[in-house]
Amino acid sequence: MSTLGIGREAFFRGMQAPVLLHDAPREKMETFDASKYTNPAVAEVRGFDPAKHLGDKGLRSLDRLTKLLVVAARLGMHDAGFKKDGVYVQGSPERVGICCSNAYGSLEAITELDRVAMLEDARYINPSKFPNTVANSASGYVSIWEDIRALNVAVSDGNCGALDAFACADIYLDTGRADALLVGGAEAMSEALYLAFLKLGALEAEKPSVVRGVLLGEGAALMTMEAVEHARDRGARVSAELTGYGTAFVPPESEASLIHPSREAVERAVTSALRDAGIEPKDVDVVASSVCGLRMFDEAELDALARVFPESACVAAPKSVLGETLGAGGGMGMAAALAWFDGAPPSAIVRGDAPARVNTVLVTAIGFYGNASAVVLRKPSASPASHASS
Amino acid sequence: MTRVFITGVGVVSSIGLGREEFFRALAEGKSGISTVEAFDTANLGRQYAGEVKNFRPRDHLTAAEARRTGRCSAMTLAAARMAVEDAGLGIEQTRGPRTAVVLGTTMGEADVLEDLDHAWIKNGARGVKRALIPKYGSTLLPIHVARAVGAEGMVLTLPAACAAGNYAIGFGADLIRAGRADVVIVGASEIIQELQFSGFVRLAAMAPDRCQPFDLNRKGMLVGEGAGLLVLESEEHAVRRGTRPQAEVGGYGLSCDAYHITRPHPDAVGSIAATRDAIAYSGLTPDQVDFVNAHGTGTHANDLAESKVMRDVFGDRRVPISSVKSSIGHCMGASSAMEAISCVMTIETGIYPPTIGYETPDPECDLDVVANVPRRGKADVVLNNSLAFGGYNAVMCFARPGVLPEPRRVPLQRAAS
Repeated sequence: MSTLGIGREAFFRGMQAPVLLHDAPREKMETFDASKYTNPAVAEVRGFDPAKHLGDKGLRSLDRLTKLLVVAARLGMHDAGFKKDGVYVQGSPERVGICCSNAYGSLEAITELDRVAMLEDARYINPSKFPNTVANSASGYVSIWEDIRALNVAVSDGNCGALDAFACADIYLDTGRADALLVGGAEAMSEALYLAFLKLGALEAEKPSVVRGVLLGEGAALMTMEAVEHARDRGARVSAELTGYGTAFVPPESEASLIHPSREAVERAVTSALRDAGIEPKDVDVVASSVCGLRMFDEAELDALARVFPESACVAAPKSVLGETLGAGGGMGMAAALAWFDGAPPSAIVRGDAPARVNTVLVTAIGFYGNASAVVLRKPSASPASHASS
Repeated sequence: MTRVFITGVGVVSSIGLGREEFFRALAEGKSGISTVEAFDTANLGRQYAGEVKNFRPRDHLTAAEARRTGRCSAMTLAAARMAVEDAGLGIEQTRGPRTAVVLGTTMGEADVLEDLDHAWIKNGARGVKRALIPKYGSTLLPIHVARAVGAEGMVLTLPAACAAGNYAIGFGADLIRAGRADVVIVGASEIIQELQFSGFVRLAAMAPDRCQPFDLNRKGMLVGEGAGLLVLESEEHAVRRGTRPQAEVGGYGLSCDAYHITRPHPDAVGSIAATRDAIAYSGLTPDQVDFVNAHGTGTHANDLAESKVMRDVFGDRRVPISSVKSSIGHCMGASSAMEAISCVMTIETGIYPPTIGYETPDPECDLDVVANVPRRGKADVVLNNSLAFGGYNAVMCFARPGVLPEPRRVPLQRAAS
């Protein structure tokens, strides 16, 4: 679920020749009334009609974050072959789970209820919408709508959360807690989110970065993750192999600072992800960076990458196509990698040249507070099982 | 696989600060329930909560820390300091990439968001204070702690609602077992806040003034607040520095009801599975469990579901069960972490803290409730239940060091199936 459209095909098609968000014509926003803002733009999931995917019933109390995530989960369960026409045809609810990142919860729901409480009376807040204020509400609804029962883990680590979700999922799968997990992240657009970044000055690029100014985005990127043997045994189409993960936190030098773009954290996260994958920097074909147009952060990340990789290494900025989707960001970067494995040419390249073939991708995320994470993905080696069903 | 020990605990609660004050008050059956002072409840129909009244951030935090934290982070940080001190760990021992911080919460810095929202609603975009924005986000809880203890490994929040503490402890232990960390600061925290308080009132879940789990005349839950943090260490790390483990982290079970966003599954299938998994992942059998710290919110649906779990897992053997929430209310995200600390202290002292306000047994809950006065008993193996919002279930096992068999990646029962 991204600004490129809904579903795997739409995403892969969109990644074939994506338009940089800043070059795209600005359209009227769909998620909130932005008429009071000057020339506003966000990367929305446009034309999203939840009823088309979920039916009319039971949608009224759900917020946008939940709807995005539930539809993503539904598409994921079908794409992975666990479900057909809404029914389990492989696996079982007790052995499928979800592990999903989100950074800011449902600001839409919280601000809506705050408005009622402040302007009317706290006694009038809608009890059916109150659950949406809780951070894990969206993935709780996913379990109900999709009948997923093995485990349900909500992850929050800002922009790094979606990559961390894969590290969590890896441990849960390795310890036999589930056979397959829907893993990734989701973030929904709201006026509160837009206003927060606007107030912070993050949306105006006074001094441009390698990409032009941040465009906030929204969406949900989920992947079904399972052990290689499990995927082979059930004849699943394998899109990628996750081979390494690294994370690091480096505090700012000043006690007074809170926001902290840490070059060192990125470098450590990347180095340990490569070590975890057992590969050298030269083995990486493309870095799906989290460069988004926030100059301080872009510089820290690119500096770190320059220390690890040779100058010619290809660094892409999928966020200049997909928007800064925060808690979903790492998942979007991984989805971009899957599109490249599928044959889409790496785009939005900010450093180096596009390689002839993409077999290994490093996805990076830099957090706002000194945190950073990285994941290594490999194109699956051709195996009979992976071709049989594709 | 390495064993994982708890070597330090720290707590901020409505009945006291620090492990001794907290557990003494629990064991004495003290109540932390009082009228709410943080916001005006006159209109809300309910006035009581387990509010922490004697917490002054500057007693525990530096001036710079106090400036950059909201109330939830401040409590978290204070409890983390206590836990690290209790573990006897100096910053030179926690600094570096082998220390991680994994915390739980439901709403995190809810008061910061409230301030932002209220300013926005009242005065429009211009009223929103820019400096306040970066202080919001549940992501921040582990960041503040990592800065204080020098942790440079994973910093993660698992917002698993009212089971968040158990999720964090379980995953923290997993990180150590997987060899990705030596020390993990785990736990959870939560504050009471107007919108959330009103929401629970609107869900008709809140009792007037007492939380009476398993009592026939129960009137619902009471919200509470606080922070519970624990230091987890690999056996090797703990042995190397010659520290005495307080308890061992056993296995845990997770499941999701996939039933209703706020109510537990009436047949408790998910929580039964989670309980069985907690026991199996510990390498134990149900007959080895000595005591169960209940989720025990004091709602009819919860009490019934938990009673079903006890009956299904333990059969006719009535394992003593008690709910700390009768004393401090439901501290939501923080609850299972604060209660984990109570479990650790039960293992240390052999004291089961009582369920206070337990007057009339509910025949539908055929349980051996530790009623009103503490009880002494065997406490080698203790379970900590959490059955949360969203259908999130997590059950955690804690044990006296030396009791559990060699840890296994996957339980025998599961490996065989």
